[in-house]
Amino acid sequence: MSVLARSVGNAFRNKIRTAAVVAVLAVAIGLALSMLVANQAVGAKVQELNASVGTTLTVNPAGGQGFEGGGEPLTAAEAATAAAVPNITSVVGTKALRLRTETTTTDTADAAAGAAQPDAGGPGGQAASVTTSLTAAVDAGTLGNRNNTGSGTGTGTTNGTEPARTFTLPITATGTAAEVDSSGKALDITSGTGLGDYSAASTKALVGTTLAEKNNLKVGSTFTIAGKTYTVAGIFDAGTTFGNNAVYLTLAEAQALAETPGELSSMVVTVNSMENVDSTKTALQAALGASKADVTQGQRNLETAVSSLNSVKGISLVAYIAALATAGLIILLIMVMLVRERRREIGVLKAIGARNRTIGLQFVLEALVLVALGSVVGAAIASFASGGIASALVSSNSSTAAGATGQRGPGGGPGGPFGGATQLLTSVTASASPGVIAAGIAAVFAVAIIGALVPALLTARIRPIEVLRGE
Amino acid sequence: MIEVKDLVRQFKSGDRTIKPVNGVSFELGKGQLASIVGKSGSGKSTLLSLLGALDKPTSGDVVVDGVSLAGLPDGKLTEYRRRDIGFVFQQFNLIPNLSAVDNVMLPMEFADVRKSARAQRAKELLEQVQLDPEKHSRRTNRLSGGEQQRVAIARALANEPKLILADEPTGNLDEQTGEHIIELLSSLSRDHDTTILVVTHDRGLARKADRRFRLHQGQLNEDVTAGR
Ligand SMILES: Nc1ncnc2c1ncn2[C@@H]1O[C@H](COP(=O)(O)OP(=O)(O)OP(=O)(O)O)[C@@H](O)[C@H]1O
Ligand SMILES: [Mg+2]
Repeated sequence: MSVLARSVGNAFRNKIRTAAVVAVLAVAIGLALSMLVANQAVGAKVQELNASVGTTLTVNPAGGQGFEGGGEPLTAAEAATAAAVPNITSVVGTKALRLRTETTTTDTADAAAGAAQPDAGGPGGQAASVTTSLTAAVDAGTLGNRNNTGSGTGTGTTNGTEPARTFTLPITATGTAAEVDSSGKALDITSGTGLGDYSAASTKALVGTTLAEKNNLKVGSTFTIAGKTYTVAGIFDAGTTFGNNAVYLTLAEAQALAETPGELSSMVVTVNSMENVDSTKTALQAALGASKADVTQGQRNLETAVSSLNSVKGISLVAYIAALATAGLIILLIMVMLVRERRREIGVLKAIGARNRTIGLQFVLEALVLVALGSVVGAAIASFASGGIASALVSSNSSTAAGATGQRGPGGGPGGPFGGATQLLTSVTASASPGVIAAGIAAVFAVAIIGALVPALLTARIRPIEVLRGE
Repeated sequence: MIEVKDLVRQFKSGDRTIKPVNGVSFELGKGQLASIVGKSGSGKSTLLSLLGALDKPTSGDVVVDGVSLAGLPDGKLTEYRRRDIGFVFQQFNLIPNLSAVDNVMLPMEFADVRKSARAQRAKELLEQVQLDPEKHSRRTNRLSGGEQQRVAIARALANEPKLILADEPTGNLDEQTGEHIIELLSSLSRDHDTTILVVTHDRGLARKADRRFRLHQGQLNEDVTAGR
């Protein structure tokens, strides 16, 4: 019989009470572990989001984001100015083009209609429109057709002559000075190679997966833009249907096609670290001048998503600490009760020569036996509940977050203003990883030891003469 | 061996104070067997608790082998109880959820005796007090009063104490078992030089005692009419 064996025995002395104590402890511990898991999961998601927003800023011509925008185009001079701002590691200029599918019949009326719609050239009117042999991989759909006829009505003159004209969505061609997309993310080239030297004019092109499929293009295939033949050097996957309905050219090539050499439709600026993004954004805006350029940070809705996730992280941390403290308090109260109940027995142990620390240790170990049982059941509860708890926390919080996010430009994006944020938030998956659970249980034990130490110290004050007192 | 000097223990009950031990002085030599009688409530258990350092006297001192208990810190008093004293409580005070053997092994565990030696000695002691071997591993709250009393005696002997303080050790035993216990105690005092102080109303035990005391109104008086 050792102290430990005695402690284990004592923990089961009153089985019904032990079961009740373990159940209550399990709930507290399970809650604590769930909150810890949720906290970790949300923390990981925040990090992931921060990494994906990354350290890039986008520079557009002033007012260039709306449909009614004007202003002066960006040039190489602005790129040089931007590159000189502290903390900026790279500046990548891009030039966007809209590619229209060549009509097979040489219908001059249609061609004229296309040319007569410069404002269909997209935001800021800065994307020049040229023809291509490619067919868009995305159907215009109801919205596309409605948008198109809408703008046709605006021009007025040719409206009545073509009531049944179907419209194909344009294909985006982007001239880029580096192998990145328009948000600064590296392109994911799934077959073939990149364009090599992105600063020189070249007849090589990168084509999105769906666009390549639609047009039966493989690495080495050719197609035309504005009558000029281009070779597919590589096929990339942007992850979205719209993103894959695109072509990348070198910057100089796109500028030549648009007949606007030296002009940029936007610049992607990379900042050296997350912490410097905000200050650099301000500095860059000041350097370029508010009348000349707009500096924006990545996907803006991510900011609200991140901040709402951060508040979920805060809530789960507080709940974790509270649940942990509750477990400690339960242990404290139970052990105080046990010590009072066993006063006489503690007196006996002292009367036959037990040291205070032996008795204290015995009670701490007994508390740990209860906590160990509570932890086993609690961990089981947590592995069941943590996913649900995390998503409940996140979705209750995202309803407010989504409301705040609904300030995107007119036309929205795929999924609409609400879809984006909610998808982002519910994609937090909380799985109880063994490492986190182990760390959580270690913390529970630490708290339990503190909780049990108080009553254990109380046993030191019980005098051996208690043994002669009646029950 | 043990020297008691003008020992006083008073309790406050309500507005009056009672002094069950009020100026007790006596000496016992090594290996002596002494008995104490006295009316119920006269303070016999209180006196034993003072000698066994379970309680502290209001005044006076107990000196054991030249060491004054009054001057010892709590840690040393614990050591004194563990090493030098074997206490047989009037109410046995066994740990109810432990087996008889485990109860007897407890003082040895506290004295850091090796585990195998503990079990061996516990078994021998339980045999000496004539506890049925099949009851050795039975939880003590499932033993009869007399069985518990014998386990309590075995536990008191565990660390081979030099002073045994026994409070009515034969109170729950039949005559035959009682006599056996009396014989056990007197042989300990005779052959092992163990000093024994027994509170008892058992005439057989009193007859075996070297010294006989009577506690009356807080005073301890020796009965010098007859010896062993
Ligand atoms: N802690 C205490 N507080 C107040 N009074 C006490 C306390 N302990 C003992 N007494 C009183 O001291 C007196 C002596 O008690 P004690 O237990 O020593 O008697 P006893 O001689 O052992 O009696 P018995 O033969 O019935 O066991 C009793 O009157 C008892 O009520
Ligand atoms: Mg008594």
